[in-house]
Amino acid sequence: MTPDTTDSGVAGSGPAGGAAASDGAAVTGSAAVTGSAVAGGGAVAGGSNPASGGVPGGGAATGGVAAAGQGAAARPGGGGTMGLARRRATSILQRYSLVALLGISIGVYGVWGKTSSVFLSAPDFRNIASSQAVLVVLTLGLIIPMISGSLDLSIGNAAGLSSVATAAFYAHGHVPLLVGALLGVLVGAIVGIVNGLLVVLLKVDSFIITLGTASAIFGIVIWYTGGQSIVLGIPQSLLSFGGGNVIGIPDSVYVVIVVALLVWYLLEQTPFGRSLHAVGSNKAAARLVGIRVERVTFAAFVLSGAFAGLAGVLLLASSGAGNPQIGQNFTLTAVAAAFLGAASFKVGRLNVLGSIVAILFLAVNITGLTFAGVADWINQLFTGVALVVAIAFATALHRERRPRARSTAQDSP
Amino acid sequence: MTDAAGQDRALALSVRSLSKAYSGTLALDGLDLDVRAGEIHALLGGNGSGKSTAIKILAGVVTAEPGGRIEAGGHADRAEHWSPALAHAAGLRFVHQQPAVFPELTIAENLALGEGFPTGPGRRIRWAVLNRRTAELLERYHIAATPTTPLGALAAVDRSRVAIIRALQDRDEADSGVLVLDEPTAALPGPEVDQLLTALRGYAAAGQTILYVSHRLDEALSVADRVTVLRDGRKVATVDTAGLSEGQLIELIVGRPIERLFPAVSQELHDEAVLTVRGAVGGPLRGVGLSARKGEVLGIAGLLGSGRSELLRMIFGAYPMMAGQLTLDGKSYRPASPSEAMAAGVAYVPEERHADALFHAESVRHNLSAGQAGDYFRRLLFRHSQERRDTSRSISEFLVSAASDRHQVQTLSGGNQQKVVLARWLRQRPRLLLLDEPTQGVDVGARSEIYQLIRRATAAGTSVILVASDLEELAHACDRVAVLKGGRITAVVEQPLDAHQLTELVNTSEAA
Repeated sequence: MTPDTTDSGVAGSGPAGGAAASDGAAVTGSAAVTGSAVAGGGAVAGGSNPASGGVPGGGAATGGVAAAGQGAAARPGGGGTMGLARRRATSILQRYSLVALLGISIGVYGVWGKTSSVFLSAPDFRNIASSQAVLVVLTLGLIIPMISGSLDLSIGNAAGLSSVATAAFYAHGHVPLLVGALLGVLVGAIVGIVNGLLVVLLKVDSFIITLGTASAIFGIVIWYTGGQSIVLGIPQSLLSFGGGNVIGIPDSVYVVIVVALLVWYLLEQTPFGRSLHAVGSNKAAARLVGIRVERVTFAAFVLSGAFAGLAGVLLLASSGAGNPQIGQNFTLTAVAAAFLGAASFKVGRLNVLGSIVAILFLAVNITGLTFAGVADWINQLFTGVALVVAIAFATALHRERRPRARSTAQDSP
Repeated sequence: MTDAAGQDRALALSVRSLSKAYSGTLALDGLDLDVRAGEIHALLGGNGSGKSTAIKILAGVVTAEPGGRIEAGGHADRAEHWSPALAHAAGLRFVHQQPAVFPELTIAENLALGEGFPTGPGRRIRWAVLNRRTAELLERYHIAATPTTPLGALAAVDRSRVAIIRALQDRDEADSGVLVLDEPTAALPGPEVDQLLTALRGYAAAGQTILYVSHRLDEALSVADRVTVLRDGRKVATVDTAGLSEGQLIELIVGRPIERLFPAVSQELHDEAVLTVRGAVGGPLRGVGLSARKGEVLGIAGLLGSGRSELLRMIFGAYPMMAGQLTLDGKSYRPASPSEAMAAGVAYVPEERHADALFHAESVRHNLSAGQAGDYFRRLLFRHSQERRDTSRSISEFLVSAASDRHQVQTLSGGNQQKVVLARWLRQRPRLLLLDEPTQGVDVGARSEIYQLIRRATAAGTSVILVASDLEELAHACDRVAVLKGGRITAVVEQPLDAHQLTELVNTSEAA
């Protein structure tokens, strides 16, 4: 299983040899990794297809991952100690394969002549770290509804809306720094409330609903801004936060750490986290153990919306402008990172640490390839391949474990 | 237990030393099986006994270990080479537990999906030919329906028969080949089971050889000529059913006599009513009244569709009650949701374990504490170590056999999964436990353990309302049984109970 991923990972980076000057940085230096993506709404729609094609339905897709896997779970009664030891070894291999891939990638770009000069420099690491803050916050928000079996494809657009709205609050409302940031989070939360209500009340697949709201949000943003970025009137303190650092670590990394701890606590340390997992695993059973399924689903969307709102504020801080176009480019990358992350640490489960490693893996490779001179289409190509590989990986794990489960199931009418 | 006469009759299917290992464990260990032409041969055994594996090998969908041999319909090959194509060529026809029939399509279309549509020029479907062919089949197999009837409009038993016809349709003479039926009655209500069994006897009388896989011993005894019993992947015996009693059969399957399967019923009954239901209306229920006393097991006997499951769900707040009154411990009780019912001390084990109770990919531990996570969350911290301790206590107390509580619950056997579901509720010491078919799809050994657990709970003061289709089981396990028919309770009978009396009460035409 693990070699497969390695191979595909390398295959994804194959075109690296092809030269072509890169000047993809559309917004700032930090955007070289994520912000350089150009595709419009198509990126969201086209990107979602692999997700739904791999495993039918949005809910099913996430369920598949939730169900796929723990290679760690040895089958009781099966095999002797030999088999058990071997399985434990494979499970460790599975658990840390993405970390290993990340290490290998860093090593390769560090040694490779084309990239080593820039790649191992401290400023570049800092650059990667701070530029990924938006994506990390979005992805960690996204895994909340994903764990409960729903998919929120509106997060990128919600972040875009929040960054534009926050910029407008500052520019036209002259609100203080913190109030503006909170309003940005609130805007995201409102998007989440709308998504949550629609999903719960209409009982329609969240995949479709949020695909619709994503497009609608984009329309609203374009209508409000006329397609123009809001550049003036952003407080200097916010802009310096975007570029600033404390003891060499970018400010946004501190935000990421707080968000990561918060989401981890929520998912692993609270009854709410348990409810999310239960709802994602089996809605009917969750209802029959007293879990209020609708309430949990709704809360999951509000949270993913609120985190998207926060991501929007970070986006505004790092890019310095309320840009109506770039938010949606993050959605697919966040989905890819979430699925990739489910393939490490707690194999088969969406998890915080895995998501972060997945984002770093994507960022290191995309940055590395960009430095190596590959044009900025590598961003979409690499992300898309990573998403498909991650889902194929999860599904394969799922299938590998199926026969036994099925034989027990068939024995019982 | 073999007979000389049998040697003369031709074998329709002969299997030698069939084995299959899953991750090191032998699911099937050297099975020898002879099915004579024209007989109904039942393959019996508990969960994990290997009967499903055997059927899958015969169908060619699971590859056997090298060393075995399969011979049927003039085709013989090494077991590890057996394939679906070979199975088909050898005349083996399979109807699986949940046959892939399509209720929205017509009978003709359902049959054509097996055989292929007759087509004219340009791949146009020749409906007239198809309908004529279907009409002939329906007549040959005595099903009173027209080819264009949607399958969903038929009774469950006729849907099963259509699935059987679909398997057999390409063979004109019935005296070759083997029809393999995997749990054909699992989804059928009581009276329709008898109809299907009658139909099977008819097919056998016409020369059809049938290999019949089932959990239900009474059916196997009534329909089969011989039975082969498997236990732990090995063949225990092949015996003639003539003169064989259900008790003897159970002894073969479990390896111990039936009297020890059910714990003794309560000696003394309290008069104190824990739950009283008055005039409950909703769905198929048209005014149900009953009361469950402290520490008793009250059985509900009723056919599928009688509203027995709805009644339990209603008491659990998971099904709307249009009218009526519930009283719990003397206080009015009207749960609007399962969480309200749980707060009042009511617990519910649903009929469909896989659909409604298990969190398959979650660990055994999380399955045990599902819905109780709040108990472990104090002062903003989740008390994982306390949960772990409680889990290991529950695992031993409720006889779950799991290698580790961190394993996914779907890796357990059916019986252990059910014990996990039961333990989830019993560990909360409920006032009232509602059980819907708690032993469905569970082998005889686990069934006995489940009833032990239930009795242990009633001894501690829990009241139980038990729904089960198996009337023999109700008669053994309950202190009293209420008969639900036509949406009302038509009778309440007390110990000594016997299955025949219950069968009569459940099946006689509605008097009420």
